[in-house]
Amino acid sequence: MKNNYRRSYVLALTSALFFTYNSPILSQNLPLKTISGTITDADGPLGGVNVLVKNTARGSISDLEGRYSLTAAANDTVVFTYLGYKPQVVAVGNGSILNVTMQLDATSLDQVVINAGYYTTTDNKRTGSIGRVSAAEIDKQPINNPLEALQGRVTGVDVVQNSGTPGGGFKVRIRGQNSLMAGNEPLYIIDGVPYDTQTLGSPNTSGGILPFADVSPLNAINPETIESIEILKDADATAIYGSRGANGVVLITTKKGREGKTKISVSSSTGIAHINRKAKLLNTEQYLEMRREAFANDGITEYPAWAYDVNGTWNMDRDTDWQKELIGGTANTRKLLAQVSGGSSHTQFLLSGQYQEETTVFPGDYNYDRISVNTNVNHQSRNGKFKVVFTGGYALEKNYLPNRDFSSDALQLAPNTPALYDEEGNLNWENSTFTNPLAAADSKYKQNSNNLISNTVTSYSFLENFEVKINVGYGLSYLKGVTTTPHTIFDPAYGLDSSSSMLTTSEGRRTYWISEPQISWKKTGNMSEWDILLGTTFQENNTEQGSIIGIGFPTNHFINNMSAASTLLILDENKTNYKYHSIFARINYAYIDRFFLNATGRRDGSSRFGPDNKYGNFGALGAAWIFTQGNDFPLINFGKLRGSYGIAGNDQIGDYQYLQTYSIQDYPYDGNIGLVPARLYNPNFKWEKIIKRELAVEMGFLRNKISFSAAYYNNRSSNQLVSYALPGTTGFPSIQSNLDALVENSGFEFELNGVIGRGSNFSWNSSFNLSLPRNKLLAFPGLENSTYANRYVIGEPLNIVKLYELQGVNPETGIFEFTDFNGDGVISSDKDKQYIADLSPKFFGGISNTINYKAWSLNFLFQFAKKKGYNQYRFTTPPGTLSNQNISVLDRWQQPGDQAAMQRFTTGENYEAYLAYSQFTQSNGVISDASFLRLRSLELAYKLTINKETGASCRIFLQGLNLLTFSSFEGGDPEQLKGFIPPLRRITLGTQINL
Amino acid sequence: MKTTFTHINKNLFYLFICSLFFMGCEDFLEVNDPFGQINTPEVFEDEATATAAVTSLYAKLRDEVLLTGTTQGLTALMGIYSDELDFYGLGAEPMDSFYQHYIFSDDPIVEGIWNGSYSLIYMGNAILESLDKSDKIGPDIKKQLRGETLFIRALTYSYLVNLFGDIPYATTTDFGLNSMLSRMPASEVYENIIMDLQEAKGLLGANYISSERTRANQMVVASLLARVYIFTEQWDLAALEATTIINNTSVFNLEVDVANEFLKESTSAILQFKPKSEGENTQEASLFLFESGPPPLVALNPQLYEGMEPNDGRKEHWIGVVTDGSETWYFPNKYKIEANTGTSIEYSVVLRLSEQFLIRAEARAKLGNLSGALDDLNVIRNRAGLMDSEATTESGILDAISTERYHELFSEFGHRWFDIKRLGLANDILAPIKPGWKPTDLLLPIPENELLMNPKLEPQNPGY
Repeated sequence: MKNNYRRSYVLALTSALFFTYNSPILSQNLPLKTISGTITDADGPLGGVNVLVKNTARGSISDLEGRYSLTAAANDTVVFTYLGYKPQVVAVGNGSILNVTMQLDATSLDQVVINAGYYTTTDNKRTGSIGRVSAAEIDKQPINNPLEALQGRVTGVDVVQNSGTPGGGFKVRIRGQNSLMAGNEPLYIIDGVPYDTQTLGSPNTSGGILPFADVSPLNAINPETIESIEILKDADATAIYGSRGANGVVLITTKKGREGKTKISVSSSTGIAHINRKAKLLNTEQYLEMRREAFANDGITEYPAWAYDVNGTWNMDRDTDWQKELIGGTANTRKLLAQVSGGSSHTQFLLSGQYQEETTVFPGDYNYDRISVNTNVNHQSRNGKFKVVFTGGYALEKNYLPNRDFSSDALQLAPNTPALYDEEGNLNWENSTFTNPLAAADSKYKQNSNNLISNTVTSYSFLENFEVKINVGYGLSYLKGVTTTPHTIFDPAYGLDSSSSMLTTSEGRRTYWISEPQISWKKTGNMSEWDILLGTTFQENNTEQGSIIGIGFPTNHFINNMSAASTLLILDENKTNYKYHSIFARINYAYIDRFFLNATGRRDGSSRFGPDNKYGNFGALGAAWIFTQGNDFPLINFGKLRGSYGIAGNDQIGDYQYLQTYSIQDYPYDGNIGLVPARLYNPNFKWEKIIKRELAVEMGFLRNKISFSAAYYNNRSSNQLVSYALPGTTGFPSIQSNLDALVENSGFEFELNGVIGRGSNFSWNSSFNLSLPRNKLLAFPGLENSTYANRYVIGEPLNIVKLYELQGVNPETGIFEFTDFNGDGVISSDKDKQYIADLSPKFFGGISNTINYKAWSLNFLFQFAKKKGYNQYRFTTPPGTLSNQNISVLDRWQQPGDQAAMQRFTTGENYEAYLAYSQFTQSNGVISDASFLRLRSLELAYKLTINKETGASCRIFLQGLNLLTFSSFEGGDPEQLKGFIPPLRRITLGTQINL
Repeated sequence: MKTTFTHINKNLFYLFICSLFFMGCEDFLEVNDPFGQINTPEVFEDEATATAAVTSLYAKLRDEVLLTGTTQGLTALMGIYSDELDFYGLGAEPMDSFYQHYIFSDDPIVEGIWNGSYSLIYMGNAILESLDKSDKIGPDIKKQLRGETLFIRALTYSYLVNLFGDIPYATTTDFGLNSMLSRMPASEVYENIIMDLQEAKGLLGANYISSERTRANQMVVASLLARVYIFTEQWDLAALEATTIINNTSVFNLEVDVANEFLKESTSAILQFKPKSEGENTQEASLFLFESGPPPLVALNPQLYEGMEPNDGRKEHWIGVVTDGSETWYFPNKYKIEANTGTSIEYSVVLRLSEQFLIRAEARAKLGNLSGALDDLNVIRNRAGLMDSEATTESGILDAISTERYHELFSEFGHRWFDIKRLGLANDILAPIKPGWKPTDLLLPIPENELLMNPKLEPQNPGY
């Protein structure tokens, strides 16, 4: 009750701000007129120049012939800006034509406005580390999720797609893994509103098809509506996000309307997608040879009844490529996007809608589709003092999938496994001799989700230098998953009927609001510039999740009707309430455009901590020095040194962990509900803290034809929030607490951009980025006597695995041998797994090129990574058992004296060989180089001008994703090592019409 | 005028800005109570919730650990570990390690048994501690709940000590203490079990608390006590406890027809598990029943069937036969109903009268009362439609009792394994049929993670 009251109070104050101050804002102004002109540089017309009427939101961009037009009043000033050129400031005056010649700038590296969250900055003034991907890059890729746009483009950002199945999730790490066990997810902010990217999916319904049941809520954001994605990395940039900034911040800004004539843009594309690389598996002949040899090796002369593949039960002439059969299909993709934007000098709008559809590579008719709508309205009073910006997005997604990813089946089914269907088209069980994988696909997963995100920013300037601003956001995410599991997924030998059929539904709903009143003060003097910001945040998230299972239906026709189920069980039901309150501030000082100082701080309170530990303080100091300002250097036209130091935090541990409670569990007994202790009690845990340090240099050479930046960072996170593992005798696997462990992430990041050529109708820009991350566990008290002794080693990265060390196949016995580290004559898992393999990337990056020639443009990105990963043997049973194998097993031991990579084949009857193989799958024998160079994206486009007068044009494009992969990795795709569908190769053809 | 207005407005405005920064933040961060959770002291201020905490112990045994009829329970696991059941699942399945005796110290099933059991013990200890503190629950209910909790703690420890030998014995909820326990010698664990059971017997009433036999009372405790006395070879005490149950004929009578033994209303039952919801039957039925071969998961060892006498009624009523013309398979058919029947028909029987007859027969034989032993043995044989046993010597009678236990108690919570283990028969019986059998297999390994986190548990059981 009290809380509700508090919330209304905040909202009431918020609205009060809007309505109190809309009266005095109107002041007189001169009438607006249309201004047009041509922009040139020394080489001729210059396209892409930003034209903005100062102190307004009215602006335009020059076309390829350098022409622009906008509306302005006679007393307005127009600012022309373009990357690498000096900004031109021109007063409008009485004329209506303004032709401008741009001058190359020796000092300014970049005038692109960079969103830093609570404030904006520019590339040359920034003191923090901020990566940026713009619409120009995003729109050139046939992607479904905004996170895909970051792959290979931003230094320090490692993005891994969990599964190629549409609707799945991603793993994103910005500058490495900081936390041992609490969340390592960055904070996502969409148009000023923090966006919770925890999945609302439930393992009860989607666990079979989507890895970790992870349905990325970011799927609801259509990448084509994004103007830019900024990645905040160092302390200077992230400390203003306080406790939530430890793992970096991803700011997504959607496209906004601009002043000018109403523009209509319609684009449509269609394409195909399929898996990238197949594993090379044994064919039937090779497979049967392996099986027969295994039986012979094990001294078995008469094939047992269950050896269906070799004893004649199955047809030994069948030879099926199960990868082709089960995951080798072609997925079709279709996209349609329409956008209308424009507006007057005081009010601008944008409206866009998109429809997208994608099928899967699995056999059967499955598809994912998304409809999304985005709106943006900006308004400002005539005197420019009062501004309001509204953005809203709504998306509907539907996903229909089989409740099983067939990737593992495709690798394991024997090539002479019987057909999936019998002659009548029914599922074939071949008299219970095999588990038909397609039976599992009788179980279907359907998902519906809705997503609303909205934000209003209202601001008012007063007393010359002051501005008050309030940002109010509201969002809602809803997801419903339904899985039907008819009894037909089971072997008919069980004699089951529809009374065993099941229907599982899960629902997740999250609502959240945020309110952030802020006040800022700016003062520009002759030599110095001050910018001070003070603000506060109120935020609340409510999440409800639950799943229900219905068992037993009169017939499978009613399997979608929960009311027809004979038994209903509630599998889980949960509600959480999270609140967050803080005060933040920023003081920025600039001295003659040469020295910059940026101090940020935040005091945070979070409901996730016990009464005595709710608050924490965070802050950072950043500084920059442009050493070329006021000094002349040969070749170097721009040079900046910058550095930062600060503290951010992490509270990603889930809610209510500090309470001592009993929770309801599914243990009904004798008319009583189930009640069990929820956790071991510890009310004393606190924030996890991270200290971030960075030093960087940014340079421009040859009039900015070449620009270069290098950064070194060192982040140390301490006071680790862990669920500390305890022996089972305590009754629980772990307890939530702080551990005095120290994790260090350090590394170098390099970026190099160059203009390779620029002519009147030709340009070639190239950029290269490289990240060299290093992760290290510096301290972990009590490590040797914890369950983590097998997982972590002091001085090594967190992402290591400890394994047996393979010594090879003993030429006499034909069995794998391993190093007996402790020399006790036995290979035991706790003492002899001493080989350390580091699975984190050693380096990664990308090379992108944009080439324009007349109306043609070509854009491509190569992505690369140097890393190790689990190879084709990791999830296998011994070669010789009833399971197909990679072709590499053929290099095996056959008789004494053989030197071979693979041990003797066994059916599993040879205990020693069986044991050795199971140890092999936990040895360095299953680690291979998984480095790759990938043609990540490519776009070839042709722009056709329809009407020179109106600027109407048509763009035809061919886009590809994951087109080529160069890798020595033998286990399939080097980016998917866990047995799910890898990221797909996509090719799309589309057109875009701009009117 | 306008100036004044603006002036006032401005003041209001500054006030507003200031208020934003100084408003009470502590209050804002108060969140709703967590959904579906109750503060621990409140649980034990109310009879209904305190009872629910106790009945959850039964439910956990039924659904998750030790006595569950799923693949995680001892019925399945110790069945395939000994000569009761054959495993037909795929070689890669974790259960195969139990069937083949290829168990390592990191075996996930062993870890599951260990962690699940200690979780149950924690739940029990938490109840005992909170009941002590509670002043809102009446003394009678308190006695009942304490008695039941002690019974379940003793039951859990009796299985743990039998599976793992010397074990850590936790009696509190203090995780600092519990994470550093040493192993207590098995004999001492048994003393503690007996102490708990004796206290429980004193606390609980003679009658069931409801019309069904689904919660512990004095008789239930006595029958477990009789079993524990057999394990500790206290024959006279075993006979004494068994007698109190056998003589309680107003409540317990052997079902005349073996077919009725496992029905909900069975008068042979001493303790049954109530199914999760009305209409459900037993998990054992889902585990064992199949209609065509080869068996999907487990089947009865054919030698068990073949070793039974031709006119043994238990063959017809408790064993199912499936054949595909050339091959024949058998499955335990004690529980016959898999489907939901609206009203439950069969309950899983945890303790039953037959065992008490066989306990007393064994105790009497050991005490030299051979005729008494034969009387008890023949009660079971006759009920199955068999003639009196022809055994005459002590060892002959003991052998006959052991065989009878095999034929009577098969596929129930690993009775067979615990029998051949305590009678020293395991090596002779299993060595010929289990390729991986080692004499050290009498005990399961202490899970590797436990040893790692609590070095006081060293040394590992021999052979691992």
